[in-house]
Amino acid sequence: MRLLASLLFAVGLILAAAPARAEITADAAAKLASGDYDKIIVGIELVANSGDPRAIAIIQALSDGKLLAGRGDTLTIEESDGTLSDAVTGAALDAKPAEAKAIRLNNKVRRSLAAMLGRLNLIDADPARRRAAAEAVFKSRDKDSLAAIDAALAKEQDSGVRLSLAAAHAAIILTDSTTGDADKVAAVAVIAERGGQDAKGLLASLSDLSPQVQAAVTDAIGIIDTNLLAWSAVQAVYYGISLGSVLLLAAIGLAITFGVMGVINMAHGEMVMLGAYTTFVVQEVIRQNIPGLFDYSLIFAVPLAFLVAGAVGMAIERTMIRFLYGRPLETLLMTFGLSLMLQQAIRTLFGASNREVGNPSWMSGSFDLGGLSLTYSRLYIILFAIAVFVALMLVLKRTALGLQMRAVTQNRRMAASMGIRTNWVDSFTFGIGSGVAGIAGVALSQIDNVSPNLGQGYIIDSFMVVVFGGVGNLWGTLVGALSLGIVNKLLEPFAGAVLGKIIVLVVLVLFIQRRPRGLFPIKGRFVDS
Amino acid sequence: MIARKLAGQQHSLALLVVAGLLGLAALIVVLHLALPADSAFYISSYAVALIGKYLCFALLALAVDLVWGYVGILSLGHGAFFALGGYAMGMYLMRQIGTRGVYGDPILPDFMVFLNWKELPWYWFGFDQFWFAFIMIMAAPGLLAFVFGYLAFRSRVTGVYLSIITQAMTFALLLAFFRNDMGFGGNNGLTDFKDLLGFSLAEDATRAGLLFASAVVLALGFIACWAIAHSRLGKVLVAIRDAESRTRFIGYRVEQYKVLIFTLSAIMAGVAGALYVPQVSIINPSEFAPTNSIEAVVWVAVGGRGTLFGAILGGILVNFGKTLLTNALPELWLFALGGLFIVVTLFMPKGLVGTAPAALAWVKGRLHRAKPGPARPSEAGE
Amino acid sequence: MTKTTWKNLTAGLALGAAAVLGSVTGAKAEDTIKVGILHSLSGTMAISETTLKDVMLMLIDEQNKKGGLLGKKLEAVVVDPASNWPLFAEKAKELLEVQKVAAVFGCWTSVSRKSVLPVFEQDNGILFYPVQYEGEESQRNVFYTGAAPNQQAIPAVDYLMANEKVERWVLAGTDYVYPRTTNKILEAYLKAKGVKPEDIMINYTPFGHSDWQTIVADIKKFGSAGKKTAVVSTINGDANVPFYKELGNQGIKATDIPVVAFSVGEEELAGLDTAPLVGHLAAWNYFMSIDTPENKAFIDQWHAFIKNDKRTSNDPMEAHYIGFNMWVKAVEKAGTTDPDAVIDALIGVSVPNLTGGYSTMMPNHHITKPVLIGEIMDDGQFDTVWKTAGLVPGDAWSDFLEGSKDLISDWRKPMSCGNFNVVTGKCGGAGE
Repeated sequence: MRLLASLLFAVGLILAAAPARAEITADAAAKLASGDYDKIIVGIELVANSGDPRAIAIIQALSDGKLLAGRGDTLTIEESDGTLSDAVTGAALDAKPAEAKAIRLNNKVRRSLAAMLGRLNLIDADPARRRAAAEAVFKSRDKDSLAAIDAALAKEQDSGVRLSLAAAHAAIILTDSTTGDADKVAAVAVIAERGGQDAKGLLASLSDLSPQVQAAVTDAIGIIDTNLLAWSAVQAVYYGISLGSVLLLAAIGLAITFGVMGVINMAHGEMVMLGAYTTFVVQEVIRQNIPGLFDYSLIFAVPLAFLVAGAVGMAIERTMIRFLYGRPLETLLMTFGLSLMLQQAIRTLFGASNREVGNPSWMSGSFDLGGLSLTYSRLYIILFAIAVFVALMLVLKRTALGLQMRAVTQNRRMAASMGIRTNWVDSFTFGIGSGVAGIAGVALSQIDNVSPNLGQGYIIDSFMVVVFGGVGNLWGTLVGALSLGIVNKLLEPFAGAVLGKIIVLVVLVLFIQRRPRGLFPIKGRFVDS
Repeated sequence: MIARKLAGQQHSLALLVVAGLLGLAALIVVLHLALPADSAFYISSYAVALIGKYLCFALLALAVDLVWGYVGILSLGHGAFFALGGYAMGMYLMRQIGTRGVYGDPILPDFMVFLNWKELPWYWFGFDQFWFAFIMIMAAPGLLAFVFGYLAFRSRVTGVYLSIITQAMTFALLLAFFRNDMGFGGNNGLTDFKDLLGFSLAEDATRAGLLFASAVVLALGFIACWAIAHSRLGKVLVAIRDAESRTRFIGYRVEQYKVLIFTLSAIMAGVAGALYVPQVSIINPSEFAPTNSIEAVVWVAVGGRGTLFGAILGGILVNFGKTLLTNALPELWLFALGGLFIVVTLFMPKGLVGTAPAALAWVKGRLHRAKPGPARPSEAGE
Repeated sequence: MTKTTWKNLTAGLALGAAAVLGSVTGAKAEDTIKVGILHSLSGTMAISETTLKDVMLMLIDEQNKKGGLLGKKLEAVVVDPASNWPLFAEKAKELLEVQKVAAVFGCWTSVSRKSVLPVFEQDNGILFYPVQYEGEESQRNVFYTGAAPNQQAIPAVDYLMANEKVERWVLAGTDYVYPRTTNKILEAYLKAKGVKPEDIMINYTPFGHSDWQTIVADIKKFGSAGKKTAVVSTINGDANVPFYKELGNQGIKATDIPVVAFSVGEEELAGLDTAPLVGHLAAWNYFMSIDTPENKAFIDQWHAFIKNDKRTSNDPMEAHYIGFNMWVKAVEKAGTTDPDAVIDALIGVSVPNLTGGYSTMMPNHHITKPVLIGEIMDDGQFDTVWKTAGLVPGDAWSDFLEGSKDLISDWRKPMSCGNFNVVTGKCGGAGE
């Protein structure tokens, strides 16, 4: 079907402009195989304009790095499964021609490829591809594509694709010095309608315009700017929420161990790190054994990270921390020592360098919402943080364990008298806190370095979040994390990333000095004990 | 009666420590300067630099011990005071370079010249005078500690909360000093020092002199702390450490005592930093790293919290171990340090000085099968 | 507490002190030539520096297989300065005074080099420094085998101007001296080329910065002003992974806004999924993908030595390769390892580099190198898309900084000066 469509299109092209015969000439092949980037670009144009039905396949293969050039300018397509075919004839091949190597590209060539693919794909059966093709033409503003754009616009049904096509049409009109003023003013209106940064970029790049068009352009830029400004405020808040959710994830486990149990766990960051390394190991296993499941790797990693970090946490509680209850400062020192040892252990096991943790495809890329460009990874992390928070709340408020945990927090002795096994509860509380830290590690592995130092970067921030929000209060942690995130991101454009962070830290220290119990202090007699 | 005897004994102990310290330092200086390099007893300038560094760390440990061992304030930010003192000294040393910098600018330090600074920032003025730098070495950390302590202790921030905000303080300073716009040389810090009070830092004699000066200051610090610990003030401090609310109810203004000691301790740390910088010839923001401050706490814990001699011992021993281990088994160093934290907190809460006598008595008892005399553990604050 | 226990404790202390002295006045073997290796094996810099230690061990091993040097075997002395800057000076002192090494290969960060400079000056040692750096230094005892800014930054900018027609520039870096200086130089250079100040955006972030959302969005915004925009990145090691991840996720493709990096090499890319980064650039003097017989031999040797054929090679490794061979040649030329003789002999020494040419030690203690621009490929390697026609000599003092434009360095007699001012005609900067 696609082949037929492109064939039809090719015929159209021939009728429209090109006197060339519908085949890929030896000259074009030689240019592609030349190894000289400028010649390759000429070759790409020759192929694209040849009208040969193989053109799309060849250009697509070149763009994917699957086109090999061999001795005597033979062109071969090597699919990722290893099957070979002759690029020009499409005939299957058994072996690679002599000295066949993938044709190397640079950015200039890639741009030309994108433009040509855009033109050739405008009449693809898949609307998403058509739209992408129109966007590619919008970017390339390639004059020779105008006919193809107009042809496509004439029969396009999908409204989204139509918008993109119209924008591409307008972009070409605007950048072509030969078009009339009336056309240009109309085009400016289309672009202004489109809005966004690339629209502004296009308008701003225009030069040598007639006064009439220039006025329209200036107006349009003004409108777009106002729009962008409003969106950028929303954007800053969104980034703040995103940063806040990362802080929340890192701190929430601490809110359990520190807030509920009063245990200062300096090795908390290392629990996060263990979670991240669990993700790495899970991904490695999947990559080597069942690569098809890679996109689900995080779904396996979350429970595993919870178990690994939780088990380590419980082991630490049983063997060390329980001897130090009531001596928080000693606990602090001991867990700091523990954090050093855990870091070094991971360094010995996995090496000092960063480990590659991949984003599953559903977490890569971004989408546009109004003037916002939201990345999937950040969005999922926000959702994930909320889910973890809700789950923890449910455990605390709706389960027997949660009830016992709260009882032990509020009055250990009375809880013990009521028959609660406080030791057991301590152990599980610590296990849950550590496990949640491990889960946070899974999320952080998606946006940060997975290295033995991963946890170090979050420990001070996490403590500040918990203390700021009010120890022993999960809602406080939530509010604390989000407000710190947002304040940080609102400050960043003015103060810069470093100074912004310093200001936040200093303000926090001053705040805690004024209100040592944080935003939402727990009131009651047991607080001081 | 027993108390008086004990006190007398402690007097002589303190004297022994001071005399031992100064004597050893003098001996090292003599062995280093007077003997030829191929003599068996010659002490190389490498060893002199090392020992000088240990003495500065010991002074820092003493400062940490004063607040932690006697008032119960676990400061995880003493590295900041140490570094501030170091920077004050470093700024003086930078100004002493004068036209000997690579660009030969008489006023601006090199790092300002190549980043196109046109004039010296205001806070660099005065540092060409030693007396001013000397005051700032104590004033900068002292003032920070005073303000910080005043705000914190007034609102009765105690325990782990205080530890956390002291850590945040040193972290904020770390970030701040990393910024090149601050005018302290950013990550590269201050280096390329030439001379101190007219003495070339490249000379062996200067370095030996610095070592001796460190020993003298350490001894002075020890005497000062000892005097505080054995005065009426010291008893109030211990009371605050052991039962803060009760002390307050008796009528003592707890926060004033705390601020006083915290400031004093910060000044000591600052002086330690100031002595440290010319001996290692660099000061850089990494001295503010929270890890450094925590490490200083563990020196005290290892030596024996609340025992002044223990702090000095811990500062020297742990750093000596670090030198040996980072040479022999670099990978093991962090395991060893981490393990030290755990072992000391779990099994030796009193540190070496607190645990050693009991252990020795136990060993002796086994060896001599003597009359079982109860091994008397040392009291805190001997 | 009894007096005896005190005595015991002091005895222990004395014992410890004796151990220090023992370890420092230790054995002096004269039948080998010692070579010091001063790279962090623990702490934050271990990521980068451990590899360099291994390369040095390999080079020394190879030299010994060839029969050593001056009829003696070489002996590697490895110390660990643990990413701690004062410790660098301490360990350098140990290498020079206690171990009496003939030369030291080491340091990565600028601050570690600054920390050891006085030691090398005082003890008259020889240091080979293998990493690209900010320049503005030429010391008699140090040989800089990494790139100076004119051997990396300026050719990269030239490439972008000529081949990508870039008119608008984002200079993004980590806030420390190398990015600061490089960006100062680039800013002056770009302005000299007629770029307007509003077309230059400069941004600094702290070490290990991990939340790049705002900055990447800013770059996107800056790039939408209608002129072709590029990012010149001097972002340091660890912060690069989240930076590139955010770039990839926000859809900034190399074809729209290319990023050219000076601190991202094969090792850094090993921690990344490079598929979204294809086409972003790096400027170095060496790439692992370089197709020369020398490089192939070097990589084979490296894989055999490290017993892992997945390990990458990178630019600082080549710098050590060049530096070590230069030192060997200079020692042979001088017939001794005496520092003064070797320092003099090193100038003018020329050895093969791995990119198919020869590198020469210049009188200013920097070397000549080719400059390569590579694009990231999806296998984590770089594809060389451009190369300087000839070799570029390293410039110790930048012509684009006010303080240093009049300075030159020439350690040959009779000048023997690292900061000679051509205007005043005096050695010692701008003095008086």
